[in-house]
Amino acid sequence: MKVVVSRSGGMAGIRTTWEVDVDAQPDADDWASLITALPWAEVAVRAPEPDRFVYRIRCPPNEVVLAEPQLCGPWKELVDRVKASQSGVSAAGGRRARSSRTPDSPLGDFGVNSQPPG
Amino acid sequence: MTGSEHSPIRCGIVPPYLLVRLARLDDPRFAAAAEAARQSLLRDAPLRTVREAPHPLPGPGLRAGAAPKRVPGTIDRSISDAAGLERLPGRLARAEGHPPVPDVAVQEAWDGLGRTHDLFWSRFDRDSVDDHGLPLDATVHYGRNYDNAFWDGERMVFGDGDGLVFNRFTASLTVIGHELTHGVTQFTANLAYQGQSGAINESLSDVFGSLVEQHARDQSTAEAGWLIGEGLFTDQVQGVALRSMKAPGTAYNDDVLGRDPQPDSMAGYVETEDDNGGVHLNSGILNRAFYLVATALGGNAWDAPGQIWYDTLTNGTLGGTATFAVFARATVRAAVKRYGIGSAEHLAVVSGWTTVGLGSGLAAGVPGPKRSERQRPE
Repeated sequence: MKVVVSRSGGMAGIRTTWEVDVDAQPDADDWASLITALPWAEVAVRAPEPDRFVYRIRCPPNEVVLAEPQLCGPWKELVDRVKASQSGVSAAGGRRARSSRTPDSPLGDFGVNSQPPG
Repeated sequence: MTGSEHSPIRCGIVPPYLLVRLARLDDPRFAAAAEAARQSLLRDAPLRTVREAPHPLPGPGLRAGAAPKRVPGTIDRSISDAAGLERLPGRLARAEGHPPVPDVAVQEAWDGLGRTHDLFWSRFDRDSVDDHGLPLDATVHYGRNYDNAFWDGERMVFGDGDGLVFNRFTASLTVIGHELTHGVTQFTANLAYQGQSGAINESLSDVFGSLVEQHARDQSTAEAGWLIGEGLFTDQVQGVALRSMKAPGTAYNDDVLGRDPQPDSMAGYVETEDDNGGVHLNSGILNRAFYLVATALGGNAWDAPGQIWYDTLTNGTLGGTATFAVFARATVRAAVKRYGIGSAEHLAVVSGWTTVGLGSGLAAGVPGPKRSERQRPE
């Protein structure tokens, strides 16, 4: 089971993607219970606000889009964990390995690759 | 999380100050109400009347002790410090009348608000964001390693950046002008932040953000760099800025960030669900049109080009869900209204839109003999 967090928007308009393979984590059961308990079907549509981030969180078959102010409670916990697990693997690598910002550089062709690789 | 949908509030006669306060609330329920009230206001009263309406009643944005009568055009700033938390407003670091503080982010925000206020007041006769002297409030040091700046409906918020990719977001005057212009747009055309109207909203913030910097540096169109967010990237990033209005798509090309994804004409229009429908991407098309108009006219971009764009934003004719084509037509009308049909300004606007692929139908009012001027090479 994979969790993919894709953050777009922001003043810079640069998309950043973080990804974690839950099954490969030492605390996979913790991850599973956190993900199962998330209110996937209860996310309200919220009017976009200037320059705020937009988070798309995918964990098939679930997918939600959250406005930045909606990233709170268990959603924030999940995203923080995804970010932390990734940077924990590659923190020593400095900026270049800090996160997989827009892997395989989809920025140039958003039109055909607007979804994070799954 | 609350999830119910709310129908727009019906508005009859709404005093401007109430509308102002409604619009400042950070609540999506009021977005529709504010828009409806604003439309009603614009239909019923010319802008000049609104301008002369009594000053809003003291609200949360007005500090205790503020004089009941203020001199129009007087700036009233406050900068707060979130100290690395994501809580607003944070602790007050400097208010109007206070001496400078050593914190560089506080100082940059302070100066940037001043420069932005100065452009709108001295060039467009606009008295702050709401045209009624709204206090300009900002928060710096928001969050930890926070790679962003935003306008939250009532204040500007600036992160310090992560230090690896981004420096602090107060480092570029264009960013401060950009955020404040979101406030101006909120109080005027109130363009929905989604799809094409969202990209127009974004472009207007880039246009006036750039004009704030040009005005502060006294740079002509030819002298200006036309960059948004110059100096925001650390020296580890291969790029000069977040965006280039002059040449969208060329601001950065970095092995981690990828290439600047902005298109420079409709031929490269990006369809995406991210970024509220690519509002920071397709804005490049509109940014370049403004740059082309400014270049065609020469001189200072805050003069005729800025005036035409300002008129378009504030004259009440732009709907909240305007498309690029609607916006282009509105700028042409604004140019004709202010400078006359067949004027150099009129022709430059038509030419600018034509170059970026939005010229369809715009030449109707252009006199025949001068039409060839539209085809001037870049």
